Amino acid sequence: MRGRINAGLVAGGVLVGLVVLAAVVSFFWTPHDPTLVDAARKLREPGGGYLLGADKFGRDTFSQLMVGARTTLYVGIVAVGIAAVLGTPLGMAAGMTPRGWLSELIMRVNDLVFAFPALLLAVMLGAVYGAGTLTAMIAIGVATVPAFARVARAATLQVMVTDYVLAARAAGRGRAAIAVRHVLPNIGSVLIVQASVSFAIAILAEAALSFLGFGTRPPTPSWGRMLQESQELLFSTPRLALWPGLAIALAVLGFNLLGDGLRDYLDPKLRRIRAEG
Amino acid sequence: MPTHAGTPQTEEPAEALIEAEHVSRVYHRPRTSLTKPGAAVRALDDVSLTVRRGERYGIVGESGSGKSTLLRLLCALDQPTSGSIRFDGQEITGRPERRLRFLRENLQIVFQDPMSSLDPRMRVRDLVAEPLVGLGLPAGDRVAELLDAVGLPASAADRYPHQFSGGQRQRIAIARALAPRPKVLVADEPVSALDVSVRGQILNLLADLVDELGLTLVFVSHDLSVVRHVCETVAVMSRGEIVESGPVDEIWAAPAHPYTRTLLRAVPTLKGLL
Amino acid sequence: MLKVEGLTVRSGDVELVHDVSFDIAPGERVGLIGESGSGKSLTALSLMGLLPEGVTATGRAALDGPDGGGDDLVGVPESRLKRLRGRDVSMVFQEPMTALNPLMRIGAQVAEIMTLHGTPRPQARRRALDLLDRVRLPEPAQIARAYPHQLSGGQRQRVMLAIALANEPRLLICDEPTTALDVTVQKQMLELIAEVAPALLFITHDLAVVASVCERVLVMYGGRVVESGPIREVFTRPRHRYTEGLLAASKLTPRGTRLPTIKGSVPAAGRFPGGCVFRNRCPHATPTCEDVPALTGDGHAHACWHPAD
Repeated sequence: MRGRINAGLVAGGVLVGLVVLAAVVSFFWTPHDPTLVDAARKLREPGGGYLLGADKFGRDTFSQLMVGARTTLYVGIVAVGIAAVLGTPLGMAAGMTPRGWLSELIMRVNDLVFAFPALLLAVMLGAVYGAGTLTAMIAIGVATVPAFARVARAATLQVMVTDYVLAARAAGRGRAAIAVRHVLPNIGSVLIVQASVSFAIAILAEAALSFLGFGTRPPTPSWGRMLQESQELLFSTPRLALWPGLAIALAVLGFNLLGDGLRDYLDPKLRRIRAEG
Repeated sequence: MPTHAGTPQTEEPAEALIEAEHVSRVYHRPRTSLTKPGAAVRALDDVSLTVRRGERYGIVGESGSGKSTLLRLLCALDQPTSGSIRFDGQEITGRPERRLRFLRENLQIVFQDPMSSLDPRMRVRDLVAEPLVGLGLPAGDRVAELLDAVGLPASAADRYPHQFSGGQRQRIAIARALAPRPKVLVADEPVSALDVSVRGQILNLLADLVDELGLTLVFVSHDLSVVRHVCETVAVMSRGEIVESGPVDEIWAAPAHPYTRTLLRAVPTLKGLL
Repeated sequence: MLKVEGLTVRSGDVELVHDVSFDIAPGERVGLIGESGSGKSLTALSLMGLLPEGVTATGRAALDGPDGGGDDLVGVPESRLKRLRGRDVSMVFQEPMTALNPLMRIGAQVAEIMTLHGTPRPQARRRALDLLDRVRLPEPAQIARAYPHQLSGGQRQRVMLAIALANEPRLLICDEPTTALDVTVQKQMLELIAEVAPALLFITHDLAVVASVCERVLVMYGGRVVESGPIREVFTRPRHRYTEGLLAASKLTPRGTRLPTIKGSVPAAGRFPGGCVFRNRCPHATPTCEDVPALTGDGHAHACWHPAD
């Protein structure tokens, strides 16, 4: 029996799908040039080809949101990619040698990085190497490594005590082959879940960094920076803060729902509930 | 031919294939105090046994008897704390994995629960071929040949373990174990997770294969009556020790050790009750 | 005392248990045997109202009270079942390791089931000690203060039995209570269950175990009762070909001989053939078997077109 498609999974999939769709379409088409400054359209009200109106520089909000989705995904993919590529092998190595010095070393360094606030790391890196999307992404990615390593280690420990790993050892398989052929495929579902949850965290972190001025630099549109730019007009033109804020909230919600939904869908324990006599 | 320091025998003894001498295995519990080390648990205490070529050797014991620990040691999946284990004359303890090739090629295992001993994410073809790949042996048509030998259709190769019943999964596990043409098959409770109606099929299959391929069988079970059907020699284990060993029919008829007697009396049978 | 009529259990459109009917008299010990997928555990769980989500039971199961009043067990709201469960009907499960709360002392767990059903706390505490003594645990006072992990598997299963007996239920259901135990421990446990059970429904896959505990037996296969009757009769003169095959397969013949087997394997739920559920594995099957055979016969009943004699 396959896992059940649950409501969370569908809702998360739809929200994430919308973000991806917006990002993909923005490569080919946006209603207006999202970076075009035009004093004539300054704070233009919604309507007449400007679906959500324009900001204080006369840039079309809807177009900015679409291109901002691109930035959001870009940040998420790179940050989660860094975290997964570094964290997974480290966690697996720790899980496959649970009593060795290597495991101890990895997990203690892990704790150290875990204790370090991601935003602080990003601000520090930004101060040293210059603020920008890439710096932010690297900082967020590195800060997320411990989460991946821990999850990968816990899942690996579970796989390592199964009979099929024992059988593989008895079949003359070496460590590397066991890691690639048995451990990785069997912890894959856990990692996918972790990835979608980390994605949500990365989106929030990027938004926060951009808001603080340590993230995406102008003119590249970013939801976080849209928020920051709308700050002074919060009371006069609240819609400028509303739309990017909503976009961030829904994207984060979407990835979290997707993660939870995938957890239920992929969990072999839940999947294996069969009607037995 | 390796020289063997076998025990003296009266009637032309087959040569010893597996020899364990004074094997002990001590585990340490995780420490509960900062100053004292964790408590030591003696899982196996001074165990010696000899399995001869072509023999069907049963190991009987309940949970905590040490039979699983002994099995892992015989298969070099764990290292003894002290003692020596030789396979075909060669010491297998204290060797790194890369120097155990002779053992891996010649000794294969069938585990208790075919649900957990087959990687759920691998196709049957890859599962059965795993020992061949692991040992760098050519696969060729071996997978189809093996599936046929255990009574599965060739089409099974492209499917996943969960698409099979318990008995069929155990056949897959047996096919995998036979892949590198081992001399010894170690079966760890191979039928205790199976339904009664398929238990006989698997035991018959094992007996046929052992006969046809001239295998040496080490058969571990909690059930002395199953061991009696399969094996000629048995070692009864309790609390990490072999309390009694010898020809299974003799022990069945006249158990010498009190534990064996308790074990025999406790096994529920249909015969006595009806 | 327990009367089950036409019990059917479904998951979606798959019928897992089909039209099961049986009675248990006060003091009677009835065995329900079957292999995996036979529906034996679902039958028991539906009597407790503990079916997994998405699985529903229909039919009638009534538990007669000592005063003549009956309590329905199937198709009644959860609130009513909650009162009955653990008081009038109780159950012992296979796995004694996971059925106890690891953070609660044994005595408190035994007492809790009584306070839950209205016994004052001090009285429940005292009775808990009696119960632990009744299930033959040595030093009940000491056991009551212990935590589950300090007990052996067999001791834990005795505690589960004590909890099941706490409110003097009218019916005790045991689902493979000794499968996880060692044989030497199993024997004592079986003797104890046979002795203390007010009326017993004993579920197992092990023919020898059921023979040592029960007086009457129901043989299930593919969600149906295929044969039922006094255990001695069913096991010495099986009529249904499945029972016959199962009995033959559980005898271990001398070394070097082939074991009798039933061909093929138990189909997955919902994949059993129509008509007689056993016909795809039965050596005696004929086209007649495409029709469903009825369970017929008084006392010793069987549902087979070509019964053994």
